[in-house]
Amino acid sequence: MKVHVFTQKQSFKVLGFIGFLIMALLAFNPAYGQSEVTTTETASGERTVKGVISDEKGPLKDVNIIQKGTRNGTVTNEKGEFTFPVKLNTGDILLITYLGYETQRVKIEDDTTFIDIVLTDDLIEIIGTLDTGKPYKSKRKN
Amino acid sequence: MKPLLISLLFFWINVSFAQISDFNHIDFKKADSIALSYPNEGLINLPELSLKLTSHLNTDVERFRAIYRWVCANIKNDYSLYLKNKYKRERFKDDSIKFKNWNTDFRKKLFNKLLRKKQTICTGYAYLIKVLAEFSDLKCEVVQGYDRVSTTDTENLTLPNHSWNAVKLNEKWYLCDPTWASGIPHPETNRFTFNYNDGFFLANPKLFAINHFPIEAKWWLLKGDIPTFEEFLNAPVIYGNAYRKLELHVAPKQMHKNIKVSEKVIFKYQLKEPLDKSKIRFVIDSGSNQRKVKPTSIRFKENLLNIEQQFDTSGFYDLHFYIDNDLISTYTVEVNN
Repeated sequence: MKVHVFTQKQSFKVLGFIGFLIMALLAFNPAYGQSEVTTTETASGERTVKGVISDEKGPLKDVNIIQKGTRNGTVTNEKGEFTFPVKLNTGDILLITYLGYETQRVKIEDDTTFIDIVLTDDLIEIIGTLDTGKPYKSKRKN
Repeated sequence: MKPLLISLLFFWINVSFAQISDFNHIDFKKADSIALSYPNEGLINLPELSLKLTSHLNTDVERFRAIYRWVCANIKNDYSLYLKNKYKRERFKDDSIKFKNWNTDFRKKLFNKLLRKKQTICTGYAYLIKVLAEFSDLKCEVVQGYDRVSTTDTENLTLPNHSWNAVKLNEKWYLCDPTWASGIPHPETNRFTFNYNDGFFLANPKLFAINHFPIEAKWWLLKGDIPTFEEFLNAPVIYGNAYRKLELHVAPKQMHKNIKVSEKVIFKYQLKEPLDKSKIRFVIDSGSNQRKVKPTSIRFKENLLNIEQQFDTSGFYDLHFYIDNDLISTYTVEVNN
């Protein structure tokens, strides 16, 4: 049987390459700028998850909740409440999105059955100009 | 190791001055047809909308294109919302608390209207594109700044008044303006009309700089000198059609020119497509009358267009430059004896 023995120089090369791969993986790992929220209630295995979503003023209607990587999802009712339509497992991630608010990622923990989330505004100054396409006209004194 | 180092070096040198011509090899037909096949989608399930638009496309530029094109084809510009915001911002500009309260209150109204009616103003367009892009793992930012259009009161332009996007594709940043690309209000009714202008997609940053002044200097994406605010305010007025027809607006750099009778003003443009001389004309407005004229001379050097216009009578003129029947740019000329 033929055994390939690395020389010291080759080992460094291989290690260097592995290091480079790790750096590359880190560099391309997409970051969302979303906060992860976990909650505390007892449950285990597959379970139904309910919750309520609000902002600083109160419950929010039509907040979108989807399970990351799937099309499973629902929206909140007028009281900001939802019941997720499929059973979830520990480790599943819910994305909670509402236009104008920061997206929240919620990781389902061993004991998650109810989640209570307060969304925060995406702070952006609202501005706008309309380009009418009308020809420019100089202001004239006469 | 050497080839890797060389390619990394190339990568770093090649990060700026990016525009649509980098993607000449890509046909956007597929991305556009996907975008236009979802006219009735709402904005509640943004992650799903984003994936519907992008999941069948292979490159980041096509994925971004589908999102951009969908927003430009489905979101209306709201003229009354724009007027109201403009009025309040000017009214409260010296009262920081009222200004901040207005902005917070208006932000909620704006997002609500965008969500329920798919109507908005600039920031709503740029924000929606950023959010949809992020759900497809594309890096996109909202750029805040000043714009200059034909109706801008340059003497009183003190507050930022426009938002647009920067998007990172193949490690380079590009600019686009979804608000102006989507359409314009009808000249008489002011009712918004969709009329997609492809010229604002990954536009040439040098052309973009004539009527977009970002608050953060990094968003000029220019290699050389960046304009001062004064230079920006004094630049010629260019219209949406300029983005359709011009690669660059080379000269004059300033909107206004003082000359003597029988002197000439020189205009230089880099065209996107070759053009026939007969398509070019000026409309000269003296205040009391308007006349169409053929320029004094027109010369081409490949796609570089060189025009001269001589003035034989004194006066103050608005000079409008047209290609076909499209208004491209406006200048003012004062002619003295």
